[in-house]
Amino acid sequence: MQYLILAGGFATRLWPLTEKRAKPLLPLAGKPVITHIVEKLPQDANIHVLTNAAYTESFRQWRLFLPKRDITIHTEHTRSDDEKLGALGAVAQWITAKTILEDLVLLTGDNYYGFAMKDFLQQYEQGVPLLAAYDIGNTEAAKQFGTVLLKADQKTIAAFEEKPTEPKTTLISTGCSIVPKAYLSELTAFAAEKPDNIGGLFTHFVEKDIPIHCFRFTEPWFDIGSFSAYLNATKMLVGDTTKIADTALVSDAECEHTVVVGERTRVRQSACDNVVIFDNCTIESCVLRDCVIDNNCTLRGIDLTGKMLREGTELIAPS
Amino acid sequence: MRHGHLIILWLLTDMILFIGLFVLAYFLRVGFIFSTDFPFDRFLTTTLLITPLWLSALISTRTFALMRRQTSIRNGLHIAFCAVIGTALFALTYYFLHGAFFSRLLLVQALLLTWGIIWMWHMLFSHVLHYVLRKTNTFPVLVVGVTRESMRLIDLLQKKKSPLKPVAILDGRGVKERDIHGVPVKGKLNKLEDVLQEDHITHLIQCSDLEQTINLLSACRNKGITYMNLPSLLGIVERDERVDRLEGQPVTIVSPKDKWWKWPFQ
Repeated sequence: MQYLILAGGFATRLWPLTEKRAKPLLPLAGKPVITHIVEKLPQDANIHVLTNAAYTESFRQWRLFLPKRDITIHTEHTRSDDEKLGALGAVAQWITAKTILEDLVLLTGDNYYGFAMKDFLQQYEQGVPLLAAYDIGNTEAAKQFGTVLLKADQKTIAAFEEKPTEPKTTLISTGCSIVPKAYLSELTAFAAEKPDNIGGLFTHFVEKDIPIHCFRFTEPWFDIGSFSAYLNATKMLVGDTTKIADTALVSDAECEHTVVVGERTRVRQSACDNVVIFDNCTIESCVLRDCVIDNNCTLRGIDLTGKMLREGTELIAPS
Repeated sequence: MRHGHLIILWLLTDMILFIGLFVLAYFLRVGFIFSTDFPFDRFLTTTLLITPLWLSALISTRTFALMRRQTSIRNGLHIAFCAVIGTALFALTYYFLHGAFFSRLLLVQALLLTWGIIWMWHMLFSHVLHYVLRKTNTFPVLVVGVTRESMRLIDLLQKKKSPLKPVAILDGRGVKERDIHGVPVKGKLNKLEDVLQEDHITHLIQCSDLEQTINLLSACRNKGITYMNLPSLLGIVERDERVDRLEGQPVTIVSPKDKWWKWPFQ
């Protein structure tokens, strides 16, 4: 079995946090999103990360922090959003180029999966595609996602509905699936037609009467696609506490709800409420609420609410 | 030709023109002769002495600023104000150096000439300046946001042949349009750094994506780019705003509509 993590997106909605880093490399509760994924995979897993030319070097650097894992970085040769092959197109190209002849676990690199991967793998029946579906708990929330309708056996997928106005289920599809080796050719053929529709692959399987099993889970799951999703994921994982890196210094500060302070960051005489501060920042006499502050920022004497600050921002109010 | 060189040329021509107009006023009043009763050398020396002071007053009105519209009434009034200062300085200087001046009508003529002709010259020179700067693409502009306001702005800058020439557009959410009035839409904000560098952007005008103001400002500060935004970014679309100071602090003001004569006191 091969494990493929898709990390080729340019993450335009999370600008400026993704200005210089891929979305899977965004720190989430102290480590990159992709590290959370890798840590859940079996120790002996062959992990492949498929990214684009702009981020390849960043992923190579990231891999150095996980020396015991078998991780290979693959590059789709695109440098911007306009040149993108499409997620499925890139997978198909990789399958063909590497002559993959094994079952394939597909994972989107910007998702956080709270379930145990061994449970997911245990549910896999040889030769039957498997898709992880998160039980979001209420139909109102399900309206924002693609929902998964099950057959009477409560195991086999009957149909998918994309952002339904009246959801019939609270199960929503996620970016974790297994495509058996027998269907890799089907994947590449479908990718040739719809290279950017990775979710459509399983709809295509349903249309072709290929049975798909569903792995239901209720553990936390996040699609880190926007500023609010990123902040919510951090709140859920860190909880109502302050997580301060070993080399950070927080003094004379009022921290409420979730506050994450990165390496070598100094926070002084400030109030922080639901704030994520990355590395090497200086925050003095500030009031920050629902903010994400990227690396190397200097803020003095300002109040901010609901902001993402790009790397190197200097905001110094005159005293 | 660089903007700085053009400004120096503009200042020099203004000085020459100011002196020339005073000389013209002399000859119009005295006749085209060098009168011994009304000595020309004294007249010219006084004019030369006050010219730098007049020019300093003119500079302080920001009439030479890149974005100043020379045809505006406000600009005309600024030039008139400086013409009054120039004439007054002349009268005062002449009085101190040589006693009473020989002609009050000459002063009136000099005042009118240095107002009217200098204003016309400013309109003409600014036209040339805009043409040269636009042709040499001296001030490439990045427009952030595809909105009706930004489309109008691009159209306006093109029609008025502004020296600020839009060369690229980015939009935070992405749009279908490939270009707006011939200016290419180059993608979303993730391309900001590339566009700023590749297009040698000198000015950035933010028209939407209010939540990204700090980040756009940060990028501009890091790269020495001038940042501007449209009032519509703040929801001010009726063009009744003004930028003023409240106890020295800059503020954008939208006042309730009132009698026109109350405007100077609001």
